[in-house]
Amino acid sequence: MRLNRFILPLNIVCLLVVGLFVGLREANAQSIKSPPAYWQETPGVDNEYCLGCHGKPDQKMTLPSGEELYLTVNPDTYYNSVHGKAGYACVQCHTDITSYPHPELIAQTHRELTVSMYGACGRCHQDKYQATQDSVHQKAMQAGNTEAAVCSDCHGSHDVQAIGESRTAIPQTCERCHFEIYQQYKDSVHGEALIGEGNPDVPSCIDCHGVHNVAGPDYNEQFHLKSPDLCKRCHTDEELMAKYGINTNVVNTYLADFHGTTVMFQAEIPGQETNKPVCVDCHGVHNIKSPDNPNSSVMKDNLQKTCQRCHPEAEINFPAAWMSHYVPSPTEYQLVYYVNLFYRILIPTLVGAMGLFVVAESIRRLINRRRKTKHE
Amino acid sequence: MSTPASESTERSHEIKYTRFTIAHRIEHWVFISSFITLAITGLVQKFASSPISETIVGFLGGIENTRLIHHIAATLMMVVVIYHLGAAIFRLYVLRVRPTLVPTSFDFKAFWQEIIYILGRRQTGPQQGRYTFQEKFEYWAVVWGTIIMAVTGFVMWNPITTTQFLPGEIVPAAKAAHGAEAILAALSILIWHFYHVFVKHFNKSMYTGKMGEHEMMEEHAIELADIKAGTARLPLDPETYKRRLRIFIPSYGIVAALLSIFLIWFLFAEDTAIATIPPQDEQVEIFVPLTATPLPTPLPTATTAPIASLTWEGGIAQLFEAKCSACHNSGQKSGGLDLGTYESVLAGGNSAAGVIPGDAGNSQVVIIQSPGNHFGQFTGEELAQIIEWIEAGAHAK
Repeated sequence: MRLNRFILPLNIVCLLVVGLFVGLREANAQSIKSPPAYWQETPGVDNEYCLGCHGKPDQKMTLPSGEELYLTVNPDTYYNSVHGKAGYACVQCHTDITSYPHPELIAQTHRELTVSMYGACGRCHQDKYQATQDSVHQKAMQAGNTEAAVCSDCHGSHDVQAIGESRTAIPQTCERCHFEIYQQYKDSVHGEALIGEGNPDVPSCIDCHGVHNVAGPDYNEQFHLKSPDLCKRCHTDEELMAKYGINTNVVNTYLADFHGTTVMFQAEIPGQETNKPVCVDCHGVHNIKSPDNPNSSVMKDNLQKTCQRCHPEAEINFPAAWMSHYVPSPTEYQLVYYVNLFYRILIPTLVGAMGLFVVAESIRRLINRRRKTKHE
Repeated sequence: MSTPASESTERSHEIKYTRFTIAHRIEHWVFISSFITLAITGLVQKFASSPISETIVGFLGGIENTRLIHHIAATLMMVVVIYHLGAAIFRLYVLRVRPTLVPTSFDFKAFWQEIIYILGRRQTGPQQGRYTFQEKFEYWAVVWGTIIMAVTGFVMWNPITTTQFLPGEIVPAAKAAHGAEAILAALSILIWHFYHVFVKHFNKSMYTGKMGEHEMMEEHAIELADIKAGTARLPLDPETYKRRLRIFIPSYGIVAALLSIFLIWFLFAEDTAIATIPPQDEQVEIFVPLTATPLPTPLPTATTAPIASLTWEGGIAQLFEAKCSACHNSGQKSGGLDLGTYESVLAGGNSAAGVIPGDAGNSQVVIIQSPGNHFGQFTGEELAQIIEWIEAGAHAK
């Protein structure tokens, strides 16, 4: 056919065009470290113009809801922030306020105003903004809960600081809205280390919940099911666990047992719920204590109560059915160890003997048949 | 191991002996279907991390379904066991057949003869009766295995009931034994049983129920001799048969009923766990805001200073100072307008003169302030004073 010789070049051209579009889109979506040129060209609206009014102390106005809105922006605070230091202009976030009189304020309440600025961060921080769209906060917002966190609730607005070394600030950010959970976390073995001692070896809120695409069990049914993967990250790290004398067998002993095996299968299926316990169901989640702590839900004496959450009829001997993450050995869970040892000897012996018998007999029969046919 | 062509025509006309009745065969097939089902659904649980297990479990509809199938097959096996007990007692007591499955010293002798045959020191294998030592070994291994599997299976199925009487460690020990015994059973079947019934000869007696003379000669020579001599079975007259049956049926009926009740109890003894999602340890409120004061306490609004006289210096200047100087000052002239001095007010800004003495309606200050939403907004009272001042001529002093 005559058209054949155009097919290949046509394909290549199409691929190039598609590639060009994809490449452009990707480049656009990159986290932008410096603002695009046209922002800097906005005439006449430099920070001094804005700060002329907004830099004065005690500037405020009343919103239609009756709330007071403070309009003062401390220039020192702003110029010490990461955006101020980099020389960003007010109008790069407040893009619609470029002259006086200002356009009419649409927000009726303080919260509405804060939420209306949510998109401003996304103009430069595309990837983080996109990530927040999948978060539990954004889902709550879309369900009508305007108290849910937007960028400025955690990062601040005019006082944004760069991410620092110290991770202790993280729980204190989340504390602003999740005070009760923060209190639990503070008393937990992780919280005591991070907040109490400044020890960075433990997870903070965002290590488990994620940072921009914050997840939670109420909005992501597989969050609970897949949470062992989170615990696993540290609790199977030999070097890290050796510092605290924590056994790294915890994951494989869990998976080898009934609960873990089930969860492992169920985690394969998208959207599958489980009613079997994962790490947090026995150990607690925000209030995890060390198993030596008398208040720990997994301490030997407290274990029956923990088991009874799902096994209401369990009696005092029941918790011992769980080998507490131990691998059976001559010192721990000897009965199981010796049963395993017994079969480890019996099976190869018996099966080996049977195999040997069967093979030997076959050879004998083959030899005899060949001899028989040879003689005939 | 296939037979040479010349013998097969001969074999098709040979006498066939009934080795297994229909009852035997049905029992065998039901048993092996449950065994195979148990092996498949069990081994995928034992080797859970293998991708093969994942595929099979997915195919079976998930892990909970797999376990359900395992339990159903196990129950079926228990039913077969109860039946088998009855069938064995019937054969031994009512029919008075010889207990041909019981191992005797003869079997050890036969085993020894087999070894010697394998080593080439004997022309043929041993001559054996109805059940060879290989079959007896198989049978009693299955009995032993089934008992272990049933007991350990019970412990795992009903851990709460078990731990009411026994220490908790018995449960993981049972799991270890159950899995290991399963491997042993599966390998024994694959190696020992399959060799003898498929590889050594293709033994059709469990399908057709019959075994030909040639095979009988090779496998069960002594039984063949007994059959030919008429001494295989004791004679049984109908009266004796009926009498024994009258005793057997009620007695075994009761035993079977008791065993069935026990089986049912086994299945439903306990509700091991709740079926719903477990409750969290402590319920917490998710959204609990820190009582924060996001805004400092608002300052009291300045009270309007009483105007001494309606002139710029008499008080109007202060009004402008309080409300307008933030933006309309000499340094920062918003809209080009400086409202700091009397002259600059009259001069106005970019759009118009600030104040036209005597004409409040056309004074820009009034025009801007009247709609009410200006940034530095005069109160109604204050605006009224300014209008009055303008109308009076906007005097400086």
